[in-house]
Amino acid sequence: MHPAPAPLDCAQTDAELNSILPAMNRLALRMLFGDHAKYLMLISGITFAVILMAQGTSLFCGLMSWTFAPLRNIRVPVWVADPKVEQVNDNKPLRDTDVNRVRSVEGVAWAVPLYQGTTQAKLADGSAKLITLTGLDATTLIGAPTEFLAGGIDGLRLPNAVIIDEYGAERLSDGLGRRLGVGDTFEINDREARIVGVCKAARSFTGGPFVFTTYERAVEYVPSQRKLLTFVLAAPAAGIEPQELAHRIAAATSLAAYTNDEFMWSTVWWYVKNTGIPINVGLIVGIGFIIGTVISGQTFYSFVLENLRNLGALKAMGASTAILCRMLVLQAFSVGLVGYGLGMGVVSLIGRAAIKTGRVPFLMIWPIPVGVLAAVLFICALASVLGIIKVARLDPAIVFRS
Amino acid sequence: MAAPLAPLAPLPAPLALQLTGLDKAFGPPDSRTVALNQADFDARLGELMMLVGPSGCGKTTLLSILTGTLHADAGESNVLGHRLGTLSQAELTRFRREHIGFIFQDFNLIATLSVWENVAVPLLIQGCGRREAEGRARAILAQVGLKGREDEPPKRLSGGQQQRIAIARALVHAPTLIVCDEPTSALDSRTGQQVMELLTSFARDPRRCVIVVSHDPRIYRYADRMAEMEDGRITRVLATPAAIAAAHPSI
Repeated sequence: MHPAPAPLDCAQTDAELNSILPAMNRLALRMLFGDHAKYLMLISGITFAVILMAQGTSLFCGLMSWTFAPLRNIRVPVWVADPKVEQVNDNKPLRDTDVNRVRSVEGVAWAVPLYQGTTQAKLADGSAKLITLTGLDATTLIGAPTEFLAGGIDGLRLPNAVIIDEYGAERLSDGLGRRLGVGDTFEINDREARIVGVCKAARSFTGGPFVFTTYERAVEYVPSQRKLLTFVLAAPAAGIEPQELAHRIAAATSLAAYTNDEFMWSTVWWYVKNTGIPINVGLIVGIGFIIGTVISGQTFYSFVLENLRNLGALKAMGASTAILCRMLVLQAFSVGLVGYGLGMGVVSLIGRAAIKTGRVPFLMIWPIPVGVLAAVLFICALASVLGIIKVARLDPAIVFRS
Repeated sequence: MAAPLAPLAPLPAPLALQLTGLDKAFGPPDSRTVALNQADFDARLGELMMLVGPSGCGKTTLLSILTGTLHADAGESNVLGHRLGTLSQAELTRFRREHIGFIFQDFNLIATLSVWENVAVPLLIQGCGRREAEGRARAILAQVGLKGREDEPPKRLSGGQQQRIAIARALVHAPTLIVCDEPTSALDSRTGQQVMELLTSFARDPRRCVIVVSHDPRIYRYADRMAEMEDGRITRVLATPAAIAAAHPSI
């Protein structure tokens, strides 16, 4: 009889595993990349899912950023509004005397009036377009644009002077044959508006371009009403935090007072609660996730099934279940990460184009790529688990069956 | 003066494996299919042992048990000094990794790997460095007549050449036991003979034992010994090539 051998030492040391893994990892990747059709299918599934998820959430964030565009255009520490106002696009006018009431609160360094509302602009061809008219304190011009493409802030004190944003220069130029520029005019409620500057500004949710003028001129442009003051803008004296000042103003005046950040989140939540946007975007993201899971999970599982005899042969030849499972995990996650990279690349290109034209809402904040990556890793983990279950139960004797 | 001593008969080579009283059945208790019924089987080092019989007689089950890929319901499996029934799954995996070379009926080559990468797989599984594995794989491929084809995908090669790759893969890590499941069933007669000649040459090594499972009478003449199987039992063992030729005159 064959002499008795030394007992088998089956505990694989870290060094042994480390020596096996690189070669087996390479083997796993060669098995994966070699099946071009299946590999492309797997990548496509993940890429498509990433595009849907990342694009959907970026579109949502972009839309939400449009909702608080006035807060991005006018960066002041504290906004004071009617107590019923929950978001920055709401217009429930205050009395003019409220400016002085705010100024009288202890800790207020300054407080100025702001008009904001939508109205119609009459263009050169006689058509009318919606605009968001913003009236700034004429003395201080607090909240005025800072980045100009043409003209400047100084001209705003001239008669009928307005500053329009870049989008307005294009949007309000109907019938002119060129973009509006400094010196051009249009009408707001039958009154002349002469452009003295073209600035950069965030896009508004309502779609109308921003037109900046002084507070006094703005209230002349719009139809007469008993109350026209939309907000009071305020700043704290040295040593007082904006949040503390907002509390003091609210307590002293019974008006709503927000810091810039508080007003931004209040605006976002108002739109989340009161519009169907989150549901629609949520559907897109959900569909993306389901498509990614189903297509990638199913394709990867069929990839495992097609390779079952090869995996069985490896198992028969002495590859442990742990090694085979690591190979599957590597395959699934490499597909996931490549698909993620491609998907995010495509979304970045879409986003770049969207930002360039400014017509499509797009804002990719850091939680989006992180969240989508987490979703992709979950999909990969799910696909791996399906394969691992199959491999763990795989009988190596399968290779002897024809 | 004393008469000269008669020449001594050569001592039998040591047994590589001995299976005794193996039982194996599949399926639920009320409709069990008996695959092995008190099967006894042995093979020696330095020989090509052939296991033959009709389809469904239990050859593959026996092969699965002696390679440690399947547990017998009853009986003793002593392979290369290891009692397989007492080994854990991890021990069986290591046993196969170190001691057994497999040649499968359908070759089971990985289509997306090159020829030499397929051959290197057993070495990689053992933790051999890639460069060393490549060198050894190329060397063994030259031995089986595939020099110059190492970097091609297997599907570009003929069936006989693919079986040579499988043989190279089975031999590359110098296992003691080489197990071949129907190695010629997918090959034409001439290619089958070339493959068997190759296997026979490796079986001449006294450190190796080659077991060939087949029901192809064309290759019976390559066996040193032959075990005939029917209905889950070894019905006859033909102990010499002459006995095999006598029992199967058509070969």
